[in-house]
This record gives sequence, C-alpha cells and structure tokens, in this order.
Amino acid sequence: MAFSNGYILGFAGGVCVFCSVIVASTATMLKDQQDLNRERDLHQSILTALALVEDGQSVPGPEIDRLWAERVELQVFHQDGRLVEGGDASADLDGDGDADLDDVALAQAAAKGSDAPPALVALYKRVDDGGAVGAYALPVQGKGLWGPISGYLALAPDLSEVIGSTFFAPKETPGLGAEIMEPPFEGQWKGKRIFDDGKPRGIRVVKGGALDSLPADAVAYAVDGVSGATITSRGVDAMVVSGIERDYAPTLLRLRSR
Amino acid sequence: MSSPATAQAPERAPLLAFDKKTRRIAIDPMLDNNPVTVQVLGICSSLAVTVQVNRALVMAAAVTVVVTFSNLVISLLRNYIPPSIRIVVQLAVIASLVICVDQILQAYLYDISKQLSVFVGLIITNCIIMGRAEAFAMSNPPWQSALDGIGNGLGYGLILVVVSIFRELLGSGTLLGFQVVPQAAYDLGYADMGLMVLAPGAFIILGLLVWVQRSLTGYTEA
Repeated sequence: MAFSNGYILGFAGGVCVFCSVIVASTATMLKDQQDLNRERDLHQSILTALALVEDGQSVPGPEIDRLWAERVELQVFHQDGRLVEGGDASADLDGDGDADLDDVALAQAAAKGSDAPPALVALYKRVDDGGAVGAYALPVQGKGLWGPISGYLALAPDLSEVIGSTFFAPKETPGLGAEIMEPPFEGQWKGKRIFDDGKPRGIRVVKGGALDSLPADAVAYAVDGVSGATITSRGVDAMVVSGIERDYAPTLLRLRSR
Repeated sequence: MSSPATAQAPERAPLLAFDKKTRRIAIDPMLDNNPVTVQVLGICSSLAVTVQVNRALVMAAAVTVVVTFSNLVISLLRNYIPPSIRIVVQLAVIASLVICVDQILQAYLYDISKQLSVFVGLIITNCIIMGRAEAFAMSNPPWQSALDGIGNGLGYGLILVVVSIFRELLGSGTLLGFQVVPQAAYDLGYADMGLMVLAPGAFIILGLLVWVQRSLTGYTEA
C-alpha cells in the first residue's frame, strides 16, 4: 500500500489535532477536582505540622476542610512585625480588598533577587478551644537541586521550640533529595529551638553525622542533612536560616514579647 | 456453491467472536505467553511499583486500560496508518491515553497517584504496550486486538500483584496496608526483610517466578 506524502502529512496532522483535543479536554474537565485535591493535600500537610492530624494518616477531604476552616487562621504581618488588620490598605498589594496569601506572594516576588526581606510575611495560627493560640506554622521557600522546595515549621505558642515540620520537594531526586519529605528527616526538627539569648537563630542543616561532634549548645539549633543530597540539604539550610533570621525575625520577636 | 454459508465463515467472522481461538488471544498472555515472565518486558515498572499491593493493583489497572484502548484504536486505524510513520502514530495514541489516565488518577485517586508519581507517565514507554500495538494490533481486527490488550494487561498485572504480595508481606509484614504478621512474631524476634522493600528484592522474586513458570510450561528461549 503506497501512501502519498500529502496523505502522510495530513494523517500525522489529523492525529496530532485529535490527540491534543482529547488530552486538553480531559485536563480541563478534571482541573477543578485536581486543584481541590492539591489544595487539600497542602492543607493536610500544614495540619500535620500543626499537630492537628497525625502524619501518614488518611483523612477524608471534608474533614480536612472542616479542620482547616475551624482551627487554622492565616495571619499576615508587615516586615516590621505589625499584624495586618482589617482595612489596612498598605498591605493590600493586589487591591482586592483584603490582605491574604496573594499579597504575600506579590511581596515575595518583589523581594526576589535582592537581599531585602519581603514587605509582608504570613503565618498560620492554630486556634485551640477558647481561642487560645495552639501553635504557629511558619512557611519557608527556597531552592533545591532541581527546583523549588518549601516547608512549614510549626512552633510552640511561646515560640520556645519547634513542634513539627513538613517539607515539599516535588522535583528532587527520589531516594536522595526527596528524602527531606520523609519522617526520618522531618521528625528531627521536633524540639529544636529558634531563639538564642532572645535573638532569632536559624536551625542549620549539618552534614550527615556531624551532629554528634557539635558542641552541646549548638545541637538544639541543628539537624542532620540527607546523605547524598548535599545541594538539597544546603537549600533547606538556606531557606530555614533566612526565614528565621531575616524574613520572620521582627515578627517572631514581636510575637514572643507578647 | 454447494456449502455456501460454512465455507465462507472463517473469512467473515462475527464482529464479537468468542470461540475458543478468540478466547486464547486473551488467556494466553496471562500464562503461556506472559509478557513479563516469558517475554521479559515491562521489568522496570515491575520493580518500581511492587512495594505495596495497592500500588501494584492501580498500576495493573492503568496499564490494562491503556493497552486495551491503544490496541483498539491502533487496530481501527491499522489500514489508514502509513507504515513510514506508524511508530510515531502509535506513540501519540499511547501517550494521549496515558496522560488521560494520569489526569483521572490525579482527580479521583490523588494519594495513589502521588505514590505512583512518575511511573504513571512512564507507562508511555512500557514496552508491552508498544509491543502489542506493533506486533498484534497493526495486523488484527479491533475485537481481537482489544482482547489481546486485556490479556496482556492482566498478564502483566498478575505478575505485578504476585511480586507485590511477596514484597509487602515479607518486607513490611502487611497486605494492602493491613498488618498480617502478628505482633507476637515480632516479640519473638521476627524481623521484616528490608531487602524486599528495595529493588533487588523484586529482582529475586521476579527471577524465581520466571523460573517457576518456565519449568511448569517447559518454555525455553529459542
């Protein structure tokens, strides 16, 4: 069977168009559900860091939505640590009438590439019975070997110690860099401290095994890196240190003095 | 002209035949001509997704769906596909199907799709699917091709599930996530085999399966 060149090109074009239509329409139809899943997944990991959900536990979606709505509150702060309260136009960068994560993202984008901290920072607050603060979760962003990494450090209400952590490294190598998302790494952060003599002090990620040879007073400010994932470990180190010592320092100091 | 109907029967087989010969198309790949243990195809994913039974089940279902529909589509198009670009066309069809399956998993089985991560996307390069499209669907009618796809998908899935049962049971002491090995056994000093969780464990199980199957069927490499 001989096919003319015109037929071959036409056939190839037809296959391309048909396949693209199928793929594009599937992706479009399922997008809402996928976005919801991703959002719940993110909420679940923040809830895990805040100790509202047990790690590795499978929680039904509506339960996550309920916990998120009832127990977690987003707070936006100015760089100097002042809480952004309703109607504060200086923090409403995107002009949609309130200061939320979108505004924080804009502030971060504006500060990107410079050494200056972003103009706004966000914290998640766990609200316990009677309105008391149960914990804070501090979001941090950085870069790993292959792509962006991020995480949440959950802090005790008096900011004396870390009570949990969760990290995301979607692009990092499975088995190496991606190990920062696993319990052995995340679990180490519990009990670490972020204040030294009244000043914010970053938690360092040190080379595997070096933890044992650190002086006793430094152990509370260090965790063990992942062997074979030096760049990713350095990325975590940089994002946590710059988060605690630079971006969040005034906010943490102000919260602590309350 | 003396026996008009019967003489022409093989030429004009019914669209959805289910005679013995057609059934063999679907059954053969599960045992005598298993794509994994006999043809030794699709080994990469057999290693990667067999740590837990539920991942193996989802992977098996995903591959079965993809290979069945890719066979069906390729077979319907087989007389129109120019031979010079047939591999490209097969890849385009397979890749579109895989992306659709991946999207559906992300929407409705998010946890499992997160665990399977890149391996769903890698179904595109699973040699079983391409192999069946090229070796069977390009030269057989749609119904037979779809059956061949189901058979090969299930044959692949069968091996995946058997390997994963051994790996999950020996490596983690669980099946489908439920604890099977009693706590008493651990108290008496039993320990999970860490090797089974790692890739070499899958190689060993797979090798043993190939051996068992080939001694049962008497198959030898030509």
